[in-house]
Amino acid sequence: MNPNRNELPDDLGKWEVQVRKGGLGLAVLAILWPEKLYGLEILRRLDSQAGMSIPEGTIYPLLSRLKAQGLVESEWVEAGAGHPRKYYRLTEPGRRRVREMALSWRAFAQGLERLLAPLEGDPA
Amino acid sequence: MSNDAGKAHLETYLHQVRRNLGGLPAAESDEIVAELRSHVLDRVEGAPTPQRVEEAIAALGSPREVARINLTERVAVELEADRSPLTVLRGVARLAGLSLYGMFAGLVSFTGYVLAAGFLITAISKLISRTRAGLWRWPDDHGAYHYVMGVTNHPQGQELLGWWVVPIGLGLAVLLGWLTWRFGIFSVRHMRRTAQRGRA
Repeated sequence: MNPNRNELPDDLGKWEVQVRKGGLGLAVLAILWPEKLYGLEILRRLDSQAGMSIPEGTIYPLLSRLKAQGLVESEWVEAGAGHPRKYYRLTEPGRRRVREMALSWRAFAQGLERLLAPLEGDPA
Repeated sequence: MSNDAGKAHLETYLHQVRRNLGGLPAAESDEIVAELRSHVLDRVEGAPTPQRVEEAIAALGSPREVARINLTERVAVELEADRSPLTVLRGVARLAGLSLYGMFAGLVSFTGYVLAAGFLITAISKLISRTRAGLWRWPDDHGAYHYVMGVTNHPQGQELLGWWVVPIGLGLAVLLGWLTWRFGIFSVRHMRRTAQRGRA
């Protein structure tokens, strides 16, 4: 609304994109924790469970990276859908990695939480 | 009938994606295309009408964007595992067809390595053919001088460096080779960032 502050929401947007991008790999690995899933299911769960809506075309390069790193493996399944689907599941190193990443993320978030606590109820 | 038109539309799109993935081995681009086909068929939920297929395709991005984001990510992953000059050069060559910057990076990398090899060959040649390798200077018809570093035998040429051509040639070869290698790594990262920003 205020023309002088036009740049601020833009910067905030960029920062948000960076934060989300940092957490995306962990989010995808965590979604695969309970079961194997195919690309579109991963996208939909990211959106419905974590409010992370990412461009659809970006999920496959990310999965291919996680696969190249040995954290997930994939298989084609000829399901009742009428066409084959490529399912992804965590490998053993992937399960270990996601646990480590979760610990590290929590420690970071808790530290940040403590810093942010004084901001609550303090009108800027 | 309408579903057939939708499926035909999807195949045209996938064909264009595959064409843009030219730099990848066939098995890898087959895999990418098969997964995109499966994605679109899932997204239209059993009713591949032209309109629903179009919506699904639009959400994925243009064939060029999809190819760019897949290729740059793959090359970047390869480079994380192995950053030898040959892998970097192959990666840059794979991305050369994707954009103007890619073409520029490919050209610079190729020229850089060729020049580095030229300096290296000159330095080594000095040890084998003492009289012909070096930094040569000769006058042209207008009184200006021509300089050539390499192996030559110009009748009026004068060799300027003597044995110094060995350390200087080796030094330049290493420096130029290193700069070209670093530039290749930078270029792959840069193209990956740009591709992702395009879809962010």
